[in-house]
Amino acid sequence: MTKVVLTDKSSNLLSAIKGPTGPEHRQLANKVMIQALEQASLQIDDISCIVATGYGRVNVPFADRQITELSCHARGVSSLFPNVRTAIDIGGQDTKCMKIDNGRLTGFVMNDKCAAGTGRFLEVTAAALGIELEDMGDISLKATKKIQISNMCTIFAQQEVVALLSRGEKLENIVAGLHDALASRVAVLAHRLGIKPDLVLTGGVAKNTGMVRAMKESLGCELFVPEEPLLTGALGAAILAKEIYVKTVAEGKALPTKSRRLEKATFFT
Amino acid sequence: MSDKNKGLSKAQEIYLNRLQRVKELKAAGKKIIGYPCVYVPLEMLTALDLVPYRTCGDIKEPITESDRALPSSFCPIMRTCLDCALKGKNDFLDGMVTIHSCDPQEKTARAWESYTNYPYFHFIDMPITVRPEALEYFKSQLNDFKKTLEAYTGKKLSTDKLEAAIKSHNQQRALLRELYELTKPSPPLISGTEIVQVVKALMSLPAAEGNELLTEVISEVKSRTDGPEEKSARLFIWTSILDDTEIMKVFEAKANVVMDESCGGMRAWRAGVKFTADPLEGLADYYINEITCARTFRQATLGETRKDYARDLQSRFGYLRSIVKEWKINGAIILLVRYCDPFAFEIPSLKDYLDSLRVPNIYIEYDYTIGALAPLRTRVEAFLETIS
Repeated sequence: MTKVVLTDKSSNLLSAIKGPTGPEHRQLANKVMIQALEQASLQIDDISCIVATGYGRVNVPFADRQITELSCHARGVSSLFPNVRTAIDIGGQDTKCMKIDNGRLTGFVMNDKCAAGTGRFLEVTAAALGIELEDMGDISLKATKKIQISNMCTIFAQQEVVALLSRGEKLENIVAGLHDALASRVAVLAHRLGIKPDLVLTGGVAKNTGMVRAMKESLGCELFVPEEPLLTGALGAAILAKEIYVKTVAEGKALPTKSRRLEKATFFT
Repeated sequence: MSDKNKGLSKAQEIYLNRLQRVKELKAAGKKIIGYPCVYVPLEMLTALDLVPYRTCGDIKEPITESDRALPSSFCPIMRTCLDCALKGKNDFLDGMVTIHSCDPQEKTARAWESYTNYPYFHFIDMPITVRPEALEYFKSQLNDFKKTLEAYTGKKLSTDKLEAAIKSHNQQRALLRELYELTKPSPPLISGTEIVQVVKALMSLPAAEGNELLTEVISEVKSRTDGPEEKSARLFIWTSILDDTEIMKVFEAKANVVMDESCGGMRAWRAGVKFTADPLEGLADYYINEITCARTFRQATLGETRKDYARDLQSRFGYLRSIVKEWKINGAIILLVRYCDPFAFEIPSLKDYLDSLRVPNIYIEYDYTIGALAPLRTRVEAFLETIS
C-alpha cells in the first residue's frame, strides 16, 4: 500500500490517503499525493517539506528527503502514544520490532527469513481457506480449541491448513491456530530485542482482532493499537518532515526542497 | 590521473578479471593451485613455486549446480563456490587444497573432490580448539600436506625455501596493515570498496606480485587527492566473507567503512608467522592461534568459560578494543551470512563485548546474493539513522 499523510506545523492531520502500490511506484505516489492535496484543499507548492519512506522511498520524485520506515514508524507511533517503548509493526512485506526512547528509534530487529513472520502469512493462508483476510479476526474469536500450525514456512502452513480442512477441522479453530502461529513467531523476534511497556502494535495485521488477541497471549502483556494502524509510518514521515522544516528555518538555512512537479508518471526514465 | 597499469587501477582491473594473470602464468608453465579459505597455508605452495588462487563464489551467479551435491539450507558461500567449480569456472586449475576450517567446508571439500578432476587434490584436517595437543595434531597434518606437495611437484620442500616464502607472505601481511593505517584519518584515504578490490586482487596473484601491487597502492593512496568523502559514520564490519564490492557499497552509500574484520579484511593480516626451527611449527601456531575467525574457539582458560565471562570475552574479542579506539569507530555491523553456524554462535557474546565498549551495533542476517541486498540496505540505513 502507498500512503500519504499531510500535517500542519502543530502535527494536526490535514489528510490521510491509502492506495495499493503495484509495480508503478511513481505513478501511484503521484496519484495518492494528488488525492491527499485535494482532501486538504492544498496545492503542491503549499507543502514545506516532504519525506518519503518504505521500500519505495527512493522512487518518489517529489520528495525532499528519504528516511527509512523504521525511524518513521517509531516517530509516528510515539506521537500517538508518548509513553511507547516498544513498537511492533506487522506488514505485508516485513515485520519490524522497534525500541523507542523519547520518541526516537534506538534499536530494531526485522524478520530475517521469509514471509512466515509477516502479514503475508495470513494473506496466503486466508486464500487457501477461501475466506477474506478482513474476516479472519472475527472468525477466529469463535474458536473452541487450540491447534498447532507450523510458523516456519508459509507454504508448509498452507499445506497444513488444507490437510486440517480435509480432516474436518472447524474453520474457526484453524484460523485461530494461524494467528497463534504468526504471533509466536513475531514474539520470538520481539524478545530478541527485549520488550518494555508501553507496547504498541501497528501495520495491517493490527486491524485483525484475532491477531491482537494472539499477540497479547504470546507476549503475555497488554498492547495498544492506534485507530489507523496502517498510517503510522506515513504519519511519522510527515512529523519528521515538519521537524526538518522547523529546524532548518530556526537555523536560518535554506530548505532542501526539490522543484515540485506532479507530472504524469515517467516510469524509470 | 593515476597510471592505469599500476596501483588502484590495476587492482580494480584484476578484481574484475581475476583469471587473466593466472592464465598468463599457466601459459608460461606455472602450476595454479586453488584454495577456498584463508586457513590454507599458502606459504607451502609459494615455497614450491606453485601459484595460489582463491576459488571464490559469485554473488551475481544464480546457484543452479551445487544443489545436486549439497543441501539447499547450507552455507551459501560454500554453495556458490562449489557451484562455480561445477560450472567449470576453475577447470584450468592444476590442483586444489581444502581444509577443515568449518564443517560446511569440510563437507563441501568431499563433494568438490568427487565432482571435479584436478591432477592434485588435498584435504587438510584442522582442529577447532587451541589446546597444545591440537597444535601437535595440526603440525602433523601440515607434514602430510608437505609430503603430498613434494610427491606432486617432484621437488623437495626445503626449510630455506619455506622460510623465504614465509618472509614473502609476512611482508604481504605487514603491507596490508600499513594499508589499513590509511583508513584512520577522517575521511579515510581509501574506501572499504577499494580495499575489497585490492584484497581480491591479492587472492589472484603470486605473493611477490601481490606485494609489488600493494606497495604501489600504498604509495598512490598516501598522496592521492581523490579519496573518499567524509560520510555520516565510521563503521566497523564483522563478518565471515565480504569479497564483493556490491555488498560493501550498501554500507558505503551513506557511511565510511574504515575497518572490516572479514577473511579478506584485517582478520588475515593482523599478525605474522613466527620463525621457528621447524617452520611447520610456526605455521601451525599462526593458523591456529592468530587468525581471528569464528571457526576457532578461544577460551581464556580451558574449561572456565562460566567462571569469568568478562575475561573470556576479552580473550575472544579483545583485539577489537584497540580497533574501536584507534580507528574511531562509531558503529559496528555484525553481518551474518545465513546458515553460518560458527559465526552465529559468536554473536550474543560479541554483542555483549561491543556493548561493553559502548559501540552502537546491529546484527543483520543476509543471503550472500545480489538478489537479497534491498532488505540489507533498509537495515543499514535505519541503523545509521539511529546513531546519527
